[in-house]
Amino acid sequence: MTDDLIRRGLSRRGLLQTTAGLIGGSMLPAMPAFAEDKPAIGSYPAGVSGSTAFIGISVPRTGTYAVQGEDELKGYQLAIEHINEGHELIKKISPKTSKGVLGKELKFGVADSAAKPNEAVQAQQRFISENKAIMITGGTSSAVAVALNKLAQREHVLFVCGISGSNDTTGKDCVRYGVRQNFFGQTAAAAIGPIMVREFGKGKKAAYLTPDYTYGHTVTKSMQDFLATAGWTTTTNQVAPLGAPDYSSYLLNVANSGADVLINVNWGHDAVLSTQQAKQFGVLDKMKLVVPYQVPFIARETGGLMQGVFAATDYWWTIEDKFPLAKMFNEAFEKKYGYKPEWGAENAYVSFAHWAHMCEEAGSFNPPDVIKAYEKGETIPSLVGDVHYRPEDHQCVRPVIIVKGKQQKDMKNKEDWYDVVEIVPGEGLMQKPDAFGCHLGDYT
Amino acid sequence: MISWPNLVSQLFNGLALGALLALISSGLTIIYGTLGVLNLAHGAMFMIGGYAGFVTYQYTESFILAVIAGSLFVMLLGIVMERTIIRHFYHRPHEDQLLVTFGLGICFVEIIRLIFSSQSQLVPPPAIFQGITNLGFMFYPTYRLAVVGIVAIALGALFIVLYRTRLGMIVRAGIEDSVMVDSLGINVYRVFMMVFGIGAMAAGFAGIVNAPVVSLTPGIGDDILVQTFVVVVIGGVGSFPGAILGGLIAGEIISVTSMFNPGYAYVMLFAAMTLVLVVRPHGLLGVQGRE
Amino acid sequence: MLKQRPFLIETLTAVGLIVAPFVLPHLGFAPNTVNRILVWGLFGLGFDILFGFTGLLSFGQSAFYGTGGFVAAYLLTRAGFSNVLGALVIGMIAAAATGYLIGLIALRRTGIYFAMITVAIAEVFFFVEFNPLSDFTGGENGLPGVPTPSFDLGFTSIHFTNGWSLYQFIALCYFVGVIIALRIVRSPVGAILSAIRDNPLRATAVGHNIHGYKLTAFVIAAAYAGFAGGLLGVLQAFMPPDAFTFDTSGQLVMQTAIGGRGTLFGPLVGATVWLFLQDFLQSALGLGAAWKLVLGVVFVLLVCFLRGGIIGGLVDLYGFISGKRARKAAETEEIDVETPQAPPAPMQAKEVAHPAYSGPILKATGLTKRYGGLVANSDIDFSVDQGELRGIIGPNGAGKSTFFKMLTCEVAPTSGQIMFEGRNITGLKVTEVCQLGLTKSYQVNQLFTGLTVRQNLTIAALAELRGKFRLDLFRSLAGVKGLTEQVEHTLALVNLTRRADTPVSELAYGEKRRLEIGLALATSPRLLLLDEPLAGMSPRERVETVKLLKSIARGRTMIIIDHDMDSLFELVERVTVLQEGRVLVSGTPEEIKTNAAVQEAYLGGVHGEIAA
Repeated sequence: MTDDLIRRGLSRRGLLQTTAGLIGGSMLPAMPAFAEDKPAIGSYPAGVSGSTAFIGISVPRTGTYAVQGEDELKGYQLAIEHINEGHELIKKISPKTSKGVLGKELKFGVADSAAKPNEAVQAQQRFISENKAIMITGGTSSAVAVALNKLAQREHVLFVCGISGSNDTTGKDCVRYGVRQNFFGQTAAAAIGPIMVREFGKGKKAAYLTPDYTYGHTVTKSMQDFLATAGWTTTTNQVAPLGAPDYSSYLLNVANSGADVLINVNWGHDAVLSTQQAKQFGVLDKMKLVVPYQVPFIARETGGLMQGVFAATDYWWTIEDKFPLAKMFNEAFEKKYGYKPEWGAENAYVSFAHWAHMCEEAGSFNPPDVIKAYEKGETIPSLVGDVHYRPEDHQCVRPVIIVKGKQQKDMKNKEDWYDVVEIVPGEGLMQKPDAFGCHLGDYT
Repeated sequence: MISWPNLVSQLFNGLALGALLALISSGLTIIYGTLGVLNLAHGAMFMIGGYAGFVTYQYTESFILAVIAGSLFVMLLGIVMERTIIRHFYHRPHEDQLLVTFGLGICFVEIIRLIFSSQSQLVPPPAIFQGITNLGFMFYPTYRLAVVGIVAIALGALFIVLYRTRLGMIVRAGIEDSVMVDSLGINVYRVFMMVFGIGAMAAGFAGIVNAPVVSLTPGIGDDILVQTFVVVVIGGVGSFPGAILGGLIAGEIISVTSMFNPGYAYVMLFAAMTLVLVVRPHGLLGVQGRE
Repeated sequence: MLKQRPFLIETLTAVGLIVAPFVLPHLGFAPNTVNRILVWGLFGLGFDILFGFTGLLSFGQSAFYGTGGFVAAYLLTRAGFSNVLGALVIGMIAAAATGYLIGLIALRRTGIYFAMITVAIAEVFFFVEFNPLSDFTGGENGLPGVPTPSFDLGFTSIHFTNGWSLYQFIALCYFVGVIIALRIVRSPVGAILSAIRDNPLRATAVGHNIHGYKLTAFVIAAAYAGFAGGLLGVLQAFMPPDAFTFDTSGQLVMQTAIGGRGTLFGPLVGATVWLFLQDFLQSALGLGAAWKLVLGVVFVLLVCFLRGGIIGGLVDLYGFISGKRARKAAETEEIDVETPQAPPAPMQAKEVAHPAYSGPILKATGLTKRYGGLVANSDIDFSVDQGELRGIIGPNGAGKSTFFKMLTCEVAPTSGQIMFEGRNITGLKVTEVCQLGLTKSYQVNQLFTGLTVRQNLTIAALAELRGKFRLDLFRSLAGVKGLTEQVEHTLALVNLTRRADTPVSELAYGEKRRLEIGLALATSPRLLLLDEPLAGMSPRERVETVKLLKSIARGRTMIIIDHDMDSLFELVERVTVLQEGRVLVSGTPEEIKTNAAVQEAYLGGVHGEIAA
């Protein structure tokens, strides 16, 4: 943690500027004359005027999503380490990288968001103003992601989104200054839906457990919409607050609803608890469980309740047989942290690698240039094959992996929780870019 | 899901929720009634009971031992807390008592978070209570059924202590008239210490008994604390029967509202509390006494 | 405490706010952190008025913070409202209105009950925000896109964007907030609020409608919270749903206690410490999630050992250093204690509302009070003429105090009727009765112990001069007509002029007894009830007090209970003897002294006590 040590203090320029502003009563920003000819925007070029570039990371380290947040953080740390040392894997994704990004060593600060938008915005504002963060990241909760989207757009600092499953993140709440690598509600539904229809048949009845915020609502909506095309109906949709202490009332409603399939959209600890209690109330004996948006570590935390359960995910480590980059990542991650990475860490790592790639392509940290590099839509490598970012909504078009929980007897080792059922290519999954009303906004 | 079977299920579930709330609230209310201190760390004690039981279970794999250890540990914690800190606050204003217990509650939660991290921890129910029971009209987790019984026994034990022992007599007298007890020549401080210990134990016991129902996280006591306040306000501050009645009412309100829309469960709970405050400001079974 | 040179605090605040942007960056504070601290500080100004000054510890402030914040943010992001300041003000008004409604319920109870209810309120607002109102509040997502303020001045427009630019706007809001808060705490209402914190019972008894004032404080706190909530949205361009969480309330309470309650600036200091430690412990020391534990421990230690928080501690330290000098000065002053003073002019009772009335000033008929099976007073008929000096005696347990409590309407009689100046006052509240001109001095001192002698009398005099409830929030105490005269006069009457600025806790017992009478007297009652005014006094003090009572008796009616019969008989014109809750006999002191029934029932047993 010592390398997180942050050097503080406002530059003399900033102080003079403030002085002028206060005395003058108005705040006409006095643009400093810098060597580069690009106009200053956000934390550029102030944030990269030295030999380092700073990244602000806010992940939940307490609260409902703490477990997933810590995992995500490990992915970020590994990526930064690899970028700074010019690791082989990074070079595979970002060929122009030698050491650091554009020769600048990456520094970072970590703040606990507790999956609360307020905490995240507060921390990132600090990173931006104090540390001149050139890029910010965070997520695990889509509410946080959406809030940071807006912050990024206002502050003109690029936001490379962490885990966020809401359609809105690159839908109606999309921004020019935000990009997202991972899969989300609509893609999850489009990928897992056909498999559910194949496995369970048409015209089934589904009950939903939905967390009460943007992620839950959009994932549930996407699932309902897709399954309706196969004649599925919804018997009940139980909307629970984030961090609900007990699901018994919800589950009784589910148990008495006569559904065939329980679609659990809850995430993090909520998913673990609601699944455990669903088992206790006999719901899992009556209906099939589906987890459309896979929760890292849920198999371990529920102690085997995922057996036979279908889930859609960004990444599962056993695909390493097909994808050499995944194998390299798994090895590097396991060496450093002692366990197989889950998709939170994968998303974190790949997002940073892609960002490094885009900066190198742009040849500058200047945010509009980096954004334009993303918007070229160039095909680039990831751990699950080639992907690209859509210029219209800044969403990465990438495959979704469908897994099914293994029976205990079939597990080859203690982390062999899932079979990979199918790797669904991203192209056919995704809604049209304008389907969710995305308006990216300005570059400046 | 509005249907008769579901209503019956929810009514039953309300009873189970309510029984637990009643137990935790009775601990809070007897401490308050006797000592005049509202322990805002009560939720944290509930949580610590769960964790103490969890640790014991890790080492012994015995649920019974976990329950005993969880309860005793929290009782001990209560006694230590009373002797070292709370005692110095009897003669300070109520606000200070609230502040210090509030602060202690935060410290407890954060210490547990430091030791066990935020990851949820599991205590499985004892083998005989695992699985599901078919009640005819519904399936219900066997252990939750057992919890109703266990809590009823615990409340019975508490009743005996309060209504059949000398200590209980003093406690109840103190709830009605604290000045009188002072003048009886009883070593009030010893009584206070024991009451604080017993009240804390009720929370700790509830914590470990509840642990197999939900998984343990450091923040588990915070929500419960607020609910126990509502229970106590509905039932009447300082009233043991009030805590039981209030607990059951609260459990039913939460559960039955959940049938229509779980999102409104707590809103309805607080609406009920407001109604009680307007109609019977001292709670359903409360007496005009301490403020 | 805050009464010093005029505008000193205002000036210092202004200077501090202007200097801050030049100094704080060197101490490692980023503009955003400073802005955040100011928002907490503003939030805390109102809370401190409620908690620090009025003594009402609310854990429900997040409800109003969120209400104001979301109303403002909704107007600005969804309703197409473009005037930021206007939206903030509307948010504030919405929060204040909510505070009024909530206060009506929450203030039905006091103390711990109140705290519990506010916790519940915080929670219910949280759930309401998430469910029924999520279409307006964005639920868990909050409301992104709150704009920053700009003002069109005609010739130029000022836009406050972020960082130090936004600081100017927030600092200005904070400054206005401080000025208003200072006005409030220095106003008559402010004085009454601190009286409520100190001794709500006596504040009621001297004739203040404390429920109204508590509600006022509650609404003020809600208004501050609402405005600060709106500012939070402006500050981060995003109105977060967590504004409504209980944690927000808890953080405010902790910050206020850390900084120092009852100081107005405590919350600001507390927020500074909080945000600094949060940042410092997390990033510099790498403590991660453990930062909150450190804060919790700091908080508990402060509550245990430094009641006044950081500011209180500094004040104590200052007092300790400067106190050494002051004490020396006081010792030299102590010598001329016995300076004889000219006797003050007698004090007029308040004007009679209906001077035409000429019957007995007080007439009680059939007064009975039962507590369960116990009969305290039974069928008492009692009448006192205007200008009379009446004594009441009776052995212990005769029901004298209960009788007085019924006369002043502190307790309602089980049956019977009380007429005061021809008006039926049965069932009225003690506050109303006091306002009519009937009050009592207590057997056990009921003083405002945290305040000075002058402040004590000011509070009582205010009730008489302003009525039971009045919202003169922005009037200074000095602006209350006749207040200074009334207080000075009462001080002189009870011979406490020299002790006027001494805290009550430092008074000698006899002085406290005189102040107790002074409190009743300062309300200018026409009928004054004195419950054992001589109890516990030394013989010399008794002589002085009897002299005092004689002087205040001019122009008013008094009823006195006491066991010191020699003194009492010297003072009063008629005596009523109570025994076992009934009137045994009434008559002149001479008649009573010689009455056989009285001697048998009473005097024989108690004479020994009097002699001693």
